[in-house]
Amino acid sequence: MNPFILSILLLSLGLGTTLTFASSHWLLAWMGLEISTLAIIPLMSQHHHPRAVEATTKYFITQAAAAALILFASTTNAWITGQWDINFDLHFFPASMLTMALALKMGLAPVHFWLPEVLQGLDLTTGLILSTWQKLAPFILMCQIMPVNSSLITFLGVTSTLVGGWGGLNQTQLRKILAYSSIAHLGWMILVMQFNQQLALLALIIYIPMTFSTFMIFKTNSSTTVNTLAASWAKTPALTAITPMILLSLGGLPPLSGFMPKWMILQELTKQDIPLTASIAALSALLSLYFYLRVSYAMTLTISPNNLNATTPWRLQTTASTLPLAISATISAMLLPLAPATLALLSL
Amino acid sequence: MLKILIPTLFLLPTTWLTSSKWLWPTALTQSMLIALGSITWLNNTTDTGWTALNSYIGTDPLSTPLLVLSCWLLPLMLLASQNHLSSEPMNRQRMYITLLATLQLFLILAFGATEMIMFYVMFEATLIPTLLVITRWGNQTERLNAGTYFLFYTLAGSLPLLVALLMLQNSTGTLSLLIIPYAKPLLLMPFGSKIWWAACMIAFLVKMPLYGMHLWLPKAHVEAPVAGSMVLAAVLLKLGGYGMMRLMIVLDPLSKEMVYPFIVLALWGVIMTGSICLRQTDLKSLIAYSSVSHMGLVAGGILIQTPWGFTGALILMIAHGLASSALFCLANTNYERTHSRTMLLARGLQIALPLMTTWWFIASLANLALPPLPNLMGELMILTSLFNWSAWTLILTGIGTLITAAYSLYMFLMSQRGPLPQHMLALPPSYTREHLLMALHLIPLLLIILKPALLWGWFAC
Repeated sequence: MNPFILSILLLSLGLGTTLTFASSHWLLAWMGLEISTLAIIPLMSQHHHPRAVEATTKYFITQAAAAALILFASTTNAWITGQWDINFDLHFFPASMLTMALALKMGLAPVHFWLPEVLQGLDLTTGLILSTWQKLAPFILMCQIMPVNSSLITFLGVTSTLVGGWGGLNQTQLRKILAYSSIAHLGWMILVMQFNQQLALLALIIYIPMTFSTFMIFKTNSSTTVNTLAASWAKTPALTAITPMILLSLGGLPPLSGFMPKWMILQELTKQDIPLTASIAALSALLSLYFYLRVSYAMTLTISPNNLNATTPWRLQTTASTLPLAISATISAMLLPLAPATLALLSL
Repeated sequence: MLKILIPTLFLLPTTWLTSSKWLWPTALTQSMLIALGSITWLNNTTDTGWTALNSYIGTDPLSTPLLVLSCWLLPLMLLASQNHLSSEPMNRQRMYITLLATLQLFLILAFGATEMIMFYVMFEATLIPTLLVITRWGNQTERLNAGTYFLFYTLAGSLPLLVALLMLQNSTGTLSLLIIPYAKPLLLMPFGSKIWWAACMIAFLVKMPLYGMHLWLPKAHVEAPVAGSMVLAAVLLKLGGYGMMRLMIVLDPLSKEMVYPFIVLALWGVIMTGSICLRQTDLKSLIAYSSVSHMGLVAGGILIQTPWGFTGALILMIAHGLASSALFCLANTNYERTHSRTMLLARGLQIALPLMTTWWFIASLANLALPPLPNLMGELMILTSLFNWSAWTLILTGIGTLITAAYSLYMFLMSQRGPLPQHMLALPPSYTREHLLMALHLIPLLLIILKPALLWGWFAC
């Protein structure tokens, strides 16, 4: 893509999210969401491949519907309470509408159906932007409208963790696996958001390096299916050895960093006297762990001469920088001992 | 504690920086020095019960025997793995030793932890190196299934444990093992406290394993390479027993009714898994089921919460750890020569490898709990305390002892006695390394006969 166009689009993407972060008026927040949606549309369809165009269309329709619902909810709230300020509590009816709209924007169950199909149609880099950057703005808005309708939030959270686990079980396409992983992790964040927004932020902050590392690893291997990952031991032996750590961290196994948000969230849920919800969420993480484990089996634990279940693709030298992946992989695997410092930084 | 932890941590740079010629001797020497250093922990003289105590880690008479066992096992694992890894590229050999060393580190931190969440994190952390050793270096296709069963059985049990520990922390304000014995018990609705009790115990019962939840063990033990089998049988199962012993104190008034189904399962499991052993054709599978059988007795001893029960459980855990690991090493010597685990293929070995027969004999006698070995001491103490709890258990435990003797003898006779089959023409004689390995397993077991008080746990006085 023309570098000027690309830079305009990326800067607009940044502008949109930053605008939502900085706003205290609902209309400005909505405008930021729309700007980021519009900016990412050309990025998604840049390759003009029919599948990419299909993904772009689906994304545009769902996000536009969600944004319209946000506009409607905030206008209704302004009509009822006379307030456009985000800092003031919402009336319960527009609050529930707003929650569902933001859930649709982020891809929480039961309004998650667009996410796997959209992510599947994108190349890995745009998929990365969709999974990480695009989640920030709706997340912040969701944090700011809490506490709202506790049973709706718990329902969204538990359904998302379960759907994220079960939906990913039958997938062989890596992007769909990452989509379901995103749904599951967002479910965990929503569960705790009603009680402690900083813990939800912690979960997001740990989730982003893990997803970033996973996308970068798949990009380095130029692989989009589980089977093509099987040849990575010959291309990048060190990366092949590290990937199970990143994947198991996504699954939330101690002593990796992915355990930190899960532990803190379970602690908060237990303090709030809903240990049953905590147990259900914890056990649903096992479902996700199964498909992460399967990917690491295919990639690392069945290395030739034991098993070779893919034909070897072209191995071209990469000119991309490996520093971002090195940093994010270290953060995703080894941050648990620094948990007190991380929590303190989030002023918990 | 740091005198042992830091050398263990620095085993990692050692494996990656030594030249390939000196890798195994250096790793072996360093781990042996760590093991010898860890024996100093057995000196528990403080009045409070906790030795080497700092804010995070401490040792007490319950954890020291298990700590010494874990540290002792690392050089033995390295000795056992040297042969089957010699054909792999150097980096993979270094990776293997790294996995064993990190497992060791997590085990020391788990047994030494004074706070329950630290124990939990380290308990779960031991899963990852073990999973990698089983699924990457195992030899058959079934190892993937074995790894999955291992991980998911343990995690499905331990995630409710995490929630239960967090509930306990919510009510008492701390999870430090120094304070918990004096805290008020958790007061919930009657049904809720039963669920809470079960959540605390199930994780450890799956790990031990208890008879109904033992399916992961034969898979994992059989598919693992020898170092994996050794560490699984000797130490990782004992993590379950140790966790149970620590948590029992907190669970006290609830346990009176809750333990009944689990004691039944444990004792019935002793007989059932013993009977399965009599019908096994796979040598490693026989030893794996024998582990389930012994750990059923240990579970029974812990669940009745009496001093002799706990003491017997601890002694049996240590003695079984050494004996079972020795048996797995012996099975591996067979496997390396014939590349098969079928007992029918490698029999009559007394004629071909007479010196190894001595070790087979002593290990089989240890397995069937011959006096004066500590295995018998543990079993007798558990048997007696179970009899005191209910006289009828004597039928179950008595038959269990009989079946144990039967299958241990069966294993010995099948592998050692009888005619050597015609097809075994080119068996390499026993290496000195293998003799050293067996000696290092069984001589400590024999030495414990002289001072079993080292292993009596809290009741050594």
